Amino acid sequence: MSEVAVLMRKAPYGTVYTAEGFRTLMGIAVFEMEISVVFVDDGVYALVAGQAPGKLDMKPLGDAFPMLSEFGVTDFYVHDESLQERGLTADDLVMDVTIVDSAQVAHILESAGKVLPF
Amino acid sequence: MLYTVNKAPLSASSLSSVLRIAPVGAPVLLYEDGVYAAVPGAQSAAMVESMLSGHPIYALDADLEARGIRSVIRGIHVISYDGFVELVEQHDVAPWL
Repeated sequence: MSEVAVLMRKAPYGTVYTAEGFRTLMGIAVFEMEISVVFVDDGVYALVAGQAPGKLDMKPLGDAFPMLSEFGVTDFYVHDESLQERGLTADDLVMDVTIVDSAQVAHILESAGKVLPF
Repeated sequence: MLYTVNKAPLSASSLSSVLRIAPVGAPVLLYEDGVYAAVPGAQSAAMVESMLSGHPIYALDADLEARGIRSVIRGIHVISYDGFVELVEQHDVAPWL
């Protein structure tokens, strides 16, 4: 089975990267690839619970990620230092994820070989 | 002059650049990803807290809500779009894009 890592490094709403990363995940999930989703730097903000972008006339992106498990995407990794720097903990997130350190992030990217950056 | 910041503080230097340039008393508005600077406990919070002694700081409520930010650093004024318009009426704007 082909492996791919989707690397999320941008905050939601301010740019289109998070939404496009999500669309890409939906797209490649159909091909039954082994997908790791990795959240680093401002990317961790994408999973913060309680997002309500109604006044921006947008859909809440955070709530979308847990639904990916229905498409077989279940490996979600969040970088510990990126969370801490932003005053966040795993309890602030919309779903259960695997918290990983920098070396583990590097290992996930390396073992997937193919990295799609958003 | 109203300084406006729309980038997150840990991945962009916009806010620290404003801190270096904006004269004491100049108001600073955080909007879009700039509102992440209002989060208490983030690494950028010390910088924002020191800024508050010299600058009124505002954060746009729609952008806070969108991002799930429920509390802001004490002293930051949370404003609506109407408040945004009032600020822009009262000041010329230096957008720190």
